[in-house]
Amino acid sequence: MRIGNYFLAEVGKSATLPAGWAGMAVALLGSLAITVLNAFAVRHAAVDGTPEMVAGTSAFEAGFAAMPIVGVVAAVVIGVTTIGSEYTADRAESGGARQITASLAAAPHRLSMFSAKALVVICFIVVAAAVAIPGNIALSQAIIGDVGTETVSTADAVGRSLGTTLYWVLMGLLAFSITALARSGVVPLIVLIANGSVVSFSLLLTLVTPLAHWLPDMAGRQLFGFPSELVVEGGLAPVPGAIVMAGWTVVMLVVSGIVFHRRDA
Amino acid sequence: MIQFNSLSKRRGSQSVLSDVTFQAMPGRVTAFLGPNGAGKSTSLRILLGLDRPTTGTALVNGQPYNRLREPLRFVGSMLDGSGAHRSRTARHHLDWVARAGGIPQRRVNEVLEQVGLAGAGRTRVGKFSLGMGQRLGLAAALLGEPEALVLDEPVNGLDPEGIRWIRSLLRGHADAGGTVLLSSHLMAEVAEIADDLVVIAAGHVVAAGTIPQVTGGYSSLEDAFFGLTGGEEARR
Repeated sequence: MRIGNYFLAEVGKSATLPAGWAGMAVALLGSLAITVLNAFAVRHAAVDGTPEMVAGTSAFEAGFAAMPIVGVVAAVVIGVTTIGSEYTADRAESGGARQITASLAAAPHRLSMFSAKALVVICFIVVAAAVAIPGNIALSQAIIGDVGTETVSTADAVGRSLGTTLYWVLMGLLAFSITALARSGVVPLIVLIANGSVVSFSLLLTLVTPLAHWLPDMAGRQLFGFPSELVVEGGLAPVPGAIVMAGWTVVMLVVSGIVFHRRDA
Repeated sequence: MIQFNSLSKRRGSQSVLSDVTFQAMPGRVTAFLGPNGAGKSTSLRILLGLDRPTTGTALVNGQPYNRLREPLRFVGSMLDGSGAHRSRTARHHLDWVARAGGIPQRRVNEVLEQVGLAGAGRTRVGKFSLGMGQRLGLAAALLGEPEALVLDEPVNGLDPEGIRWIRSLLRGHADAGGTVLLSSHLMAEVAEIADDLVVIAAGHVVAAGTIPQVTGGYSSLEDAFFGLTGGEEARR
């Protein structure tokens, strides 16, 4: 009953926060733009008889290409804003108050509230994935039509879509945990988005030590299921990788949950 | 009834509160008075379970706040402003507070009406004046029709009409048998409304009792305030 009330309150909070919708918009509009560009490039190459100009003419791959970067950015935004918004200070002339005070007064059972928030992160990311992934693939198929050659079986397509959803959820929860520890959304947002899109520090680190393949974002990357010729070699296979990444996520959630429970708000 | 029993709080090597003991009784308005940084907010934050005491307890009807089954029905609180995120509307803020507290949504309209924000429900909190923010904070405190009200500097930022309004609201709440505990750093502001005074300075309760008891022997309210708190200030 109590966790149910807390969950509904947290859904309401996230749904009425413009920053939360920014995450959704990134997932949907950002990936849409990339898919359109990709799919038309593939279509032209196929029609012109120059398929060597593109990596392949699979409509699935063309629609799926945006998922690792754009989707992860969206997941990070959702994870960070869900808890970072609690620590946004109001204008100084209004006392610089933060919402966490009102939140804990209304929902003083901190572990229940923390769990409710984590659940909201999962729900929002799953919804984003359920719309963005099939939507982009369908769009790509509509643009490319039957001029391309599909190289990905339906079973693989489903598996990779589910794997991608899992990766997004885990990245969102990691971002959520880190933000809970930092009590501010700004730094986690910048670092995690940069790492997920501009420059992957973890990927660079694998050049220094193979242990970097065990970092959460590297461990889970085979969940996207890209053909091996398209990705950097090495690292963990999909299932062990997923387990390692999930392990990181659970540890981070437990640590940040305990800290959230114990410290002064 | 609200009770603080031998509350102490240290932050690192610094003592923020030491042996703070007092009560706020039903049917009375209790003012918690002291200069900025004296420990008023920390005491109230401990009462609401936001901060942890080093030793001692703060209880509502004999229980810690976070053990109350439906806390918003026992204590309505406002600490530093509305606590609403500035990009959310007033109504959306109250919506989630009501949901978390298991309070029917119809109360949202009622409290918006009660605090005079009925026309501003769709306005983003970031556009609110300080006084409107205080009214929104009060609206959230009133949502659960609580027995006790705990308000940190509720008069801050209110215009004269707002101050008059909040006085009658709090007086009415106490006269109906409720408990009111409010903090302030202005003696004159609370003398008009409070029945009981608790004066705190540098983390110590330096005086407690009815207004005549606390201010007796001083020529003015201001003299009483500085007489009671000034000694502690000088020692710092």
